[in-house]
Amino acid sequence: MTERAQALNATRERYLLTRYAALTVALFVPLLLAFALVRNFYPFAASTVMMAGGDLQAGRTYYVMRGETSTGESIDLSPIELTNALSGRAWSLVGGTVTNKSFRLSSPHPANVVLLEAAGGIEKLPPASRLPDLLRSWGTIYNLRLSPSSPQRLQAVILDCYRWDSGRYSDYQHLVQSWRAEL
Amino acid sequence: MIRAVICSFVLYEILLTDFIDLGRLPITVMRPQGAMQLLPWRFYDVLLTPGGMLIFKCVLIISLIGATVGYLTSITTKSAALLFLFFEGLVRSFGHFNHDEMPVVYILFVLAFTPSGDAFSLDSWLRHARARTGDIAYGYPILLMRSLLAWSYFSSAPIKLRVAGLGYFRPDNLPTLAIMHSLDNLHDTHYKLAFWLPKFRGVMPFVVAAVVLWELLFPLAIFSKLARRVILPFGIVFHLGTLFFMNVFFPFHLAAYAVFIDWPRLVSRISAVRLFQKGKGLRGKARNINAVIRTD
Repeated sequence: MTERAQALNATRERYLLTRYAALTVALFVPLLLAFALVRNFYPFAASTVMMAGGDLQAGRTYYVMRGETSTGESIDLSPIELTNALSGRAWSLVGGTVTNKSFRLSSPHPANVVLLEAAGGIEKLPPASRLPDLLRSWGTIYNLRLSPSSPQRLQAVILDCYRWDSGRYSDYQHLVQSWRAEL
Repeated sequence: MIRAVICSFVLYEILLTDFIDLGRLPITVMRPQGAMQLLPWRFYDVLLTPGGMLIFKCVLIISLIGATVGYLTSITTKSAALLFLFFEGLVRSFGHFNHDEMPVVYILFVLAFTPSGDAFSLDSWLRHARARTGDIAYGYPILLMRSLLAWSYFSSAPIKLRVAGLGYFRPDNLPTLAIMHSLDNLHDTHYKLAFWLPKFRGVMPFVVAAVVLWELLFPLAIFSKLARRVILPFGIVFHLGTLFFMNVFFPFHLAAYAVFIDWPRLVSRISAVRLFQKGKGLRGKARNINAVIRTD
């Protein structure tokens, strides 16, 4: 190898080293910060999944979604089969929609701002304000997969809210509330 | 090779994902997180439609195909990393910030900003590109990718201990957590094995302790082949366990185990086996010809 080629290689290596150092800092510094603050800031994750553990006495609210066909039959409706892009997070979308989380952003969607102003603030906003829209969209997606004459077409989507608060490993299904969205 | 494996896995996942139906969800339930809040609502209004999401999916697939086969690698790996980062931010804006796909997002960025198309790629085949010399050029990105995955596991252990303390090892912790994730019909799977766990609550603190210890020791897999032989199979068992007992699955974490495989060695071993089998075949053919000659 000539001296010139050697010098060129050395320059390339130096350039790569600088680039690798920058890449390492750009990835690891925010990750370390997210870890230190126990706070997720997309795209930097603090690995907070299952960090709190389960408390048997604390109880748990959960939701079951179902559909009502045009014949009046009640069927199990799994959101993940309707929008598989939400893999692993459909349950938190429903929970967040029931608790009006999309209204609590520092800058909510303009349509939500209008609703907030009409209600007179987040405290006066009824819970699950956008839930009918979400249920209706899932019902529409389901119906789009069926022929217009199919008896399996949905006429309503229902979300049942249950609570497990017995403090025992039994009595899991205590119905709290239901929401119904007509299609 | 790592680029081809990781990008083909992401491509496979994206091909199976229905973007059009995601575009039918109401934008008003969205909660953009972190850097996703920097984009204006007008942008999301345009994108989050069946048509907008279809175009987005097509661009992402083209980028991922380019990155997988290593065509225009420098450009396609960068666009694939950016678009996948955006997609993951978009779906997280509907739900919560889980960290399953995140190590793969970071790995895509490492591949995008390192010479990942110098060997197993269409670019090197078409242009007869010469590989760079020096171990650090190819060795460091692998070290970085392994460290990112190891960090994902390692960091979750001290966080659990910081937030829940020693209470995390209580006998009811794991059964309660598992049952919580098995009650609704909103999870991806609906396994009911969690309801068996209370019968074994006495063993649960040891199971949880083993998992936390495994998470803490995961960084050993970066350097030690022996540690990898224990830690990675444990990881597969752990993720299958969370799937069947908690209805929580981390397929992207499992796919990222590809960064721990010594691909050049694996390829040379496969080639050696093939050569050996070919040699055996030739010897067999030679014996048959000899037998025919002798009979004649």
